[in-house]
Amino acid sequence: MIRQTMIAVALAAATPAFAQDQMNDLQIAHTAYTAGQLDIRYAHLALAVSENDAVRAFAETMIRDHTAVNDAAVALITELNVTPEDNDLSRALVEGAAAKRAEFMALSGNEFDCAYAANELGYHQVVNQTVEGKFIPWATVEPLKALLSDALVTFKVHEGHAEDMVAGLQCAS
Amino acid sequence: MRVVSGATRRRFGLLMGAGLVAPLVVRAHDGPHLVEAGIEGFAFVPCRLEIRAGDTVRWTNHDIAPHTATDKAGGWDTGRIAKGESSDVTYDAPGTYAVFCRFHPNMIAEVVVEPA
Repeated sequence: MIRQTMIAVALAAATPAFAQDQMNDLQIAHTAYTAGQLDIRYAHLALAVSENDAVRAFAETMIRDHTAVNDAAVALITELNVTPEDNDLSRALVEGAAAKRAEFMALSGNEFDCAYAANELGYHQVVNQTVEGKFIPWATVEPLKALLSDALVTFKVHEGHAEDMVAGLQCAS
Repeated sequence: MRVVSGATRRRFGLLMGAGLVAPLVVRAHDGPHLVEAGIEGFAFVPCRLEIRAGDTVRWTNHDIAPHTATDKAGGWDTGRIAKGESSDVTYDAPGTYAVFCRFHPNMIAEVVVEPA
């Protein structure tokens, strides 16, 4: 538990300051979609590199579930006829993820698996805290609030799966 | 076992106990029944179904993430069920079937099929 907390703290520190200032609905939508796309990219990298069955299964789940959530987001955006708004947080997430992928690509075997698993745990912890504590309260459009709430159920399950993955890999602390 | 239909958008037809958390039991048997089973919050609801041979279970996914209802023994599989969609499975052979979601294996349920 202590090690997992340390991982989360380290990743939270490495993750761009997540939503310090209140964001509008279009910015929230853009950031949530971006965060999902970035996790899908991490997952594709994991499938390309990892040979661990648990890691690969987790990555496949991330691709499947985040794609479903983002498809629902696109459907909502289309229905509402609005355009999500790029913002500092979305851009910082993209930059942070690029740096993280560069780190991952220098790794292989168990080192990669452990780095990917730890990142997934920390990423979902930070995202879930932000969605639950900030995005949902801030959202003013009811369908967006509902979508975020539905998505949070999925993301919390992912966080639990990530905890199991980290524990199962028995990585060096 | 027959997967009667693939994913459909029939959500609320012939409701017979959807939403029950307790085991769902179909006792009287004046012919085959259609039994609703939900998938919600990454759980099968109800998590235990007791039906008669010849009954059909309609598995409906209410989650944003896709799910399956799959026989652990490999006898049947609904295939991918997206949010708001359903898949019907008819159970002809009595027995107890351990069910899980292929995408999220922690999700489990049980279908008990009694003789008609």
